[in-house]
Amino acid sequence: MRCSFLQRSFLLALLFALLTLQAHAAVFYPTSFTLSNGLQVIVVPNHLSPAVNQMVWYKVGSSDEVPGKLGLAHYLEHLMFRGTSNMAPGEFSKMIAAQGGEDNAFTSYDYTSYHETVAADRLPMIMQMEADRMQNLQIMPETATPELSVVMNERQQRTDNNPEGRFGEKLRHILLPHHPYGVPVIGWKPEIEQLTAAKAAEFYKQHYAPNNAVVIISGDVTPEEVMRLAAAIYGPIPRGDIAPRKPVPPATNPKRHRFVMTDIGVEQAQLEFTAVVPSYSTQKNTEAYAYEVLSEALDGGEVGLLYRRLAVEQGLASGVETNYDPDARGDALFVIALTPQPGKTPQQLEKALQDQLQGIAQNGLDAKLVEAAKQRLERTAIFARDSLMMPGYAFGMALTTGHSVNDVEEWPDRIERVTADDVNAALRDLVANPHNLMAMLLPDSKATAAQREAVRPMLNRDMGIR
Amino acid sequence: MKHLLLISVAVFLCAVAPAQATEIKEIISPKGIKAWLVEDHKLPLISMQFAFRGGVERDPADKQGLANLTMNLMTEGAGPYDAAAFQQQLADHSVALKFEAGRDALEGSIKALSQDKDTAFDLLHLAVTQPHFDAVEFSRHRDQQLSALRTMFGNPEWQGRYALFQNVFGKHPYGARRLGSTQTLANITRADVKSFAASHLARDNLVLSVAGDISPRELGVALDKIFGGLPKHAKFVPISEVVWPHDKAVILLPREGTQTNLLFAMPGPKRDDKDWYAAEIANYILGGGGFSSRLMQDVRDKKGLTYGINMGISPMEHGSLILGEAATDNPKTGQAWEVISDTMRRFYDDGVSEKEVDGAKDYLTGALPLAMTSTDKISEVLEGIQLEHLSRDYLDRRNDLLRKVTVEQVNQAVRRWFNPDGLFISMVGKPEGMAPTQTEDLVRY
Repeated sequence: MRCSFLQRSFLLALLFALLTLQAHAAVFYPTSFTLSNGLQVIVVPNHLSPAVNQMVWYKVGSSDEVPGKLGLAHYLEHLMFRGTSNMAPGEFSKMIAAQGGEDNAFTSYDYTSYHETVAADRLPMIMQMEADRMQNLQIMPETATPELSVVMNERQQRTDNNPEGRFGEKLRHILLPHHPYGVPVIGWKPEIEQLTAAKAAEFYKQHYAPNNAVVIISGDVTPEEVMRLAAAIYGPIPRGDIAPRKPVPPATNPKRHRFVMTDIGVEQAQLEFTAVVPSYSTQKNTEAYAYEVLSEALDGGEVGLLYRRLAVEQGLASGVETNYDPDARGDALFVIALTPQPGKTPQQLEKALQDQLQGIAQNGLDAKLVEAAKQRLERTAIFARDSLMMPGYAFGMALTTGHSVNDVEEWPDRIERVTADDVNAALRDLVANPHNLMAMLLPDSKATAAQREAVRPMLNRDMGIR
Repeated sequence: MKHLLLISVAVFLCAVAPAQATEIKEIISPKGIKAWLVEDHKLPLISMQFAFRGGVERDPADKQGLANLTMNLMTEGAGPYDAAAFQQQLADHSVALKFEAGRDALEGSIKALSQDKDTAFDLLHLAVTQPHFDAVEFSRHRDQQLSALRTMFGNPEWQGRYALFQNVFGKHPYGARRLGSTQTLANITRADVKSFAASHLARDNLVLSVAGDISPRELGVALDKIFGGLPKHAKFVPISEVVWPHDKAVILLPREGTQTNLLFAMPGPKRDDKDWYAAEIANYILGGGGFSSRLMQDVRDKKGLTYGINMGISPMEHGSLILGEAATDNPKTGQAWEVISDTMRRFYDDGVSEKEVDGAKDYLTGALPLAMTSTDKISEVLEGIQLEHLSRDYLDRRNDLLRKVTVEQVNQAVRRWFNPDGLFISMVGKPEGMAPTQTEDLVRY
């Protein structure tokens, strides 16, 4: 790795808006600075191996699209690999591969993210490549047209040809009517077909600029070297004329609260209870942190309360998982996903889940259980440092959804401050929450009823062995 | 919160030592248990990988799913702890302890913070030497495995893979399913699980790799404490080598949906084959090289016929296969297959260019160090090297082994291993423009 002998005068000459944070009981201990063109850069040194990861996040996702052009953010993500005025289509990934590196990208509701991992001494190369496509993307019809077919194939593979994919898409659409989070990120098939190179180019111009991006560099580097490189490589990119983001509207209640989908391709029933709850962005005080602890207390692998009650004690579920991701500009979803044990019906499990939630909400979670869940969560912050990409994900999601470096670094402290009362209040809110949906994915009963009947007695045969 | 102006410290922080090659130490415990160790004290945590050679392949034919069920029960009660107490111990100390049944080995890992490592090692010791296999947990996990199996039934990739493997491997244990079937699960008893664990968890088939915050001396003591109580020898039934069938099949599994999942396979080189490195380079160029491979460029980038296509070589203890997969629209299946076979045909007939070989070498030599970016990934790479019977200096030698492969050697490997006439194929969906040699029903329970 090269050592950068920074001169004080050289540094002063750089027009940084300089801010370095050293929090206590923090997570990644990053260095953060903003270039004069508005690009925010975060550096997390990690000298475990001679590698570096760069993640470039743009503050744009499918929630920024306009109706009729859904899927544009994701289509553009694909086109970002199809050439610039300096690079041929496909050359980006080839250059990374030639270094033994990995690169990819993903699009979500609130952000679009690109990432590369290479040997640490190749950092200037991947910074130059991202800087190039941040300003010089060329969208040509001869590559944009087959790429649209690729996107269509992606949709088929993930959703149309996959019952679970269709189930998830419909569930969201019912739960979040007329809401940007209620439509698929990849877009609906008829609208994808209408996307064009020109629309993608316009979207690129509107949203891709240094003042609408965050770069996180994690690995075997020093903050000083990254500052020097960032100033030299990203610094010259002109600021873009970026309109303020339109806010994500509050979600309105769905027309119905039950959704059942049967499918011939499904053999194992699934149950999913979802409620719309506050995120880091929409919480009034600190409810999001209480929901995080609640999720850990209810799930938490085999020690989770719901798993113990529904799987171990009552033998109704073979799997119980909760999921809550508070990194969103709008509201977040609290999900409880359950798989019935063979021989038990989803309806039995649904009733048991509701009884459990009501009962636990009434009696309150035990303070010891809450404390244990908090301890588990806080320790994940130490494990997070044993990962090259975790800083990129954590800061990227926070900073593209309206939050700060501090919010990430103070996360363990904020979890620590959650009380049992906070968690119980969150649970009561969850149970009383009118904005919810109970969804079931069921096998097509006609196709498999006979075979299913045959299963139970067989499995019971040697239950008596002790 | 302290705001620190960076300029004042900039000059002092840039003297980072150049990255050094990873040093792998071999630890031999007082009782003779061996482990490879990458000692690193930068983070207060430790990762260990452990494996017992002999995996799913050792399932009796009428009790498929036994190895997987046994592994799932390893953390459900041991020593003084019942299942709930054992899980609580793991959770309270944030110990991630996992067991899984691989094809050729029973594998596991443990990761914990340094402050909890004594507890972590104690729990692992109890799990491998004094597992309970209680009746209640046995029955719950067998039901869970049936659920997992049913979930797989709905998955077209799994369906295609199973049909293809059954065709290719026939009655050889590699044709068996890790999760078993409704019938074979019903045949398994608690006594089977106990005897499977007792005969397969031993010291002479144990493979260990460790990375992180622990000294060689401390590890040596820990190894004896954890594994010292295991029987010396594992008891195995011998497994024969795979013999591929003569008649190549194109199997169709009709399935409702919009796409067809294509899976194609042919015999590949084993890990100790003289062609290994040349074949690895060839595979990278044809289909293993992600976005840069010939198949990805032809089928995805130029024609937009798929979201992804890839190929890989899967070397196993008793055989090896080259496997490719892609999904495409039902009406375009014939067209997609034409492009795939065309690309494979040109690859076989015309061979590879020097530029392609250099590109493959660049990737393959650069990628391995980049896979070692966390303590668990370091221990995984070490474990993989050991399981493939390679030596401790492999990381130092590997680049030379790849670099010295010539274009001629790659082309010889192409001629020997990548003949497109040798493909076995499965299709799951409603493909148009591609005729099967046999049609089978989707597997249900």
